[in-house]
Amino acid sequence: MRQHSTAAGIVARFSLVFEELFIFIALLCLVAFFALSADNFLTTGTLSAILSQLPALTVVTIGMTLVLVSGGIDLSVGSVVALSSAVVGLLYTVFGLPLPLAALLGILAGGCAGLVNGLLGSYLRLPIFIVTLGMLEAGRGLAYLVTGSQTMYIGPDIQSMALPIPGLGVSPAFLLALALVIVAQLTLTRTVFGRYVIAIGSNETAAKISGIRTEPYLCAVLVISGLLAGLGGLMNAAYLGASDPNAALGLELSAIAAAVIGGTSLMGGRGSIVGAFLGVLIIAVLQNGLAQLGVSEPVKRLITGLVIILAVLLDRWRSRP
Amino acid sequence: MTPRLAIESLCKRFAAPVLRDVSMAVAPGSIHGLVGENGAGKSTLINIVSGLLPADSGSLRLNGASYRPGSRRQALDHGIALAAQEMSLIDTLTVAENILLANLPQHKLAIDRERLIERSLLLMNRVDLRVSPQAAVAELTLAERQLVELAKALSMPESACKLLILDEPTSALTSPQADRLHSLLTERAAQGLSIIYVSHRLDDVLSVCDEVSVLRDGQIVLTAPTSGLGAEDLIHAMCGEELLADDAIAASPRGPIRLRVEALSSAEFPEPISLQCHSGEIVGIAGLAGAGRSELLHAIFGLGERRSGKVLLSGEAEVSIDSPSTAVRHGMAMIAEDRKAQGLFGGKSLAMNTTIAGLGRLGGALAAVLPRRELDVSERLLQKLKVKSEGPRQDIDRLSGGNQQKVLFARWLQTEADVWLLDEPTRGVDIGAKLAIHQQLRRLRDQGAAILIVSSELEELTALCDRILVLSARRVAACYERGQWSKELLLDAAFSQFKNSQSHAGAST
Repeated sequence: MRQHSTAAGIVARFSLVFEELFIFIALLCLVAFFALSADNFLTTGTLSAILSQLPALTVVTIGMTLVLVSGGIDLSVGSVVALSSAVVGLLYTVFGLPLPLAALLGILAGGCAGLVNGLLGSYLRLPIFIVTLGMLEAGRGLAYLVTGSQTMYIGPDIQSMALPIPGLGVSPAFLLALALVIVAQLTLTRTVFGRYVIAIGSNETAAKISGIRTEPYLCAVLVISGLLAGLGGLMNAAYLGASDPNAALGLELSAIAAAVIGGTSLMGGRGSIVGAFLGVLIIAVLQNGLAQLGVSEPVKRLITGLVIILAVLLDRWRSRP
Repeated sequence: MTPRLAIESLCKRFAAPVLRDVSMAVAPGSIHGLVGENGAGKSTLINIVSGLLPADSGSLRLNGASYRPGSRRQALDHGIALAAQEMSLIDTLTVAENILLANLPQHKLAIDRERLIERSLLLMNRVDLRVSPQAAVAELTLAERQLVELAKALSMPESACKLLILDEPTSALTSPQADRLHSLLTERAAQGLSIIYVSHRLDDVLSVCDEVSVLRDGQIVLTAPTSGLGAEDLIHAMCGEELLADDAIAASPRGPIRLRVEALSSAEFPEPISLQCHSGEIVGIAGLAGAGRSELLHAIFGLGERRSGKVLLSGEAEVSIDSPSTAVRHGMAMIAEDRKAQGLFGGKSLAMNTTIAGLGRLGGALAAVLPRRELDVSERLLQKLKVKSEGPRQDIDRLSGGNQQKVLFARWLQTEADVWLLDEPTRGVDIGAKLAIHQQLRRLRDQGAAILIVSSELEELTALCDRILVLSARRVAACYERGQWSKELLLDAAFSQFKNSQSHAGAST
């Protein structure tokens, strides 16, 4: 009996690590495949191209994963990215605010959009899918209004955030995104907040009966998602050196795909930030690798779609009792 | 005579063997009882016979012919009807659609509404289900759902139905509803239907069944005619040597008033109610299904719409309960009626399920949850409650019902709750777990807890409680101290509000 229980314990512990290890191995296989089939995939040029595109999607995916784990969804993140980057551009170029202040207000604009989502979804109990679908339209509309439907050139100051730090090879934006991945993973797995979010996503009624006030937590994850989308907007503006009201179209779907590839359940209650980050890497490697192989855009999208479905299939197979 | 169903040397294993060389025969027109502790293999056996699981080895014969269903559909085509314990109803469909789902009457390509209603009403009458056939199943109480499930099982044409399997068919029913079902079963058996009847209610099994088989650890340890058997014989066969003695009632001195409910009402419990519970006292709440028992507990715990009145906890300072989170913070515990929907975090570890309610005391949302400590706390409680598990990392979905219920107890022991609200805490758990839960409740009472317990089993209430409150149609009909009550008095009070409006009994609005 004793032996039995320790063996089961080891299996259980292994499967916790296994979850992310599995995705990591999939990522390595993908990298190895492109390294062998495309001549110049493993070059600093390609890698830095991949790394520079990553930060915005990464931070948005962190927020998305938290919302999915809580049992909700946030369809507005792509529009909020555009809105936040528009606010930064407007405040910096038209109103002449110092860049750090403009950046901060841009992030807060994202937070406000998240707060509206959160209040409507948790305290007023409107279906969050519809609320954030509304915000997807409204946010995009606001982004067009703020920019006058034009791309606003911001300049080199903001681009320094997206350029590699000499000697390090990665940008400040990338380092920030990486740090947020770690902080968010620890928050989800090692704090009362994270545990409550998982509990609410797993069984909201049982969470309530366990004495958890569910509204503030459901609201908080949407505010966090909004703030992170705001930060994503800043990173996007830094990458482009401009605010583009058409930026991040359909980003919400990439973020959901990355989260799902990383083992997050759309039914709530289960998910991993590190897994979702690996999901982001898989999508980025796939996009760039296929481009280097000379695969056309339609075929790229076809393959990416199949990978998402494959990930869900594998997930089902792994979590089979 | 060829048996209707012959089970020969059936074996099935998942991680461990669940059924070992099981053989059993059900004669035509006989009601065959099947009892055993949770985890003994009853559900697996039923699932194999009804086509939901394949057997590893062994064989089944139906009327002498080899029978090997590959799916539930194939079993249905062979005339095997099933009323499952984990009910198979679809919430968004109507009562009528659920009842006739396997065989919807059609007119050309469309569903024939008139015949659907007509045929389902016939079946609903037979089980005494008094709701609209057009009502959505989501709106029904647990008891009403169970009656829908039974009507669904009875929907197979009598000429086609060879074997009816009932898994805990009365777990949510009141005694009169159960009696009605039992006479219906006896009647159908007399017409030649064979029935397998699975239940934890041993008295029911003994009175309804012709024969009974006892499963223990995947083996049949006893098959005998019920005449000449007593409940003790079945319990002895089920538990082997492990049987715990039920404690004798020790009259413990009751302490000061701990819980005071003053003129409480809610949308689900409209008539204001007042009651008190002392520390060191177990108060039972009896009543028929639909009498408002669960709704009352919900309102006390701070749940429910449009709540008014007061719930006060008197300790060092008096606090008023206005939400479940205040309730939990001030030492209240709630074990709700529907374990899966309202209690468990499915797919999560025992550790997470044990510690969740106590996390609020760690000091804020950003306080750290330390895995090592969490495992230790959980392991200690699981051992204390003798939960049969592979340790705190195990997935809660893999435990039997009785052990899952013990984990819920562990959750509230961890918060050191001393006001307990329990709604059918032993429903669907095996006799061993039931006795352990009773023992635990007495221990809590002796330590000074104030306990309110709702149960449909009068025997459970009379064995445990110091006082019993009887609800009838959402009002208090009577209150008896220990020594004053009798089964007749309690039942009489439970029916008191229904006597003038018989036709509405059991219907909930």
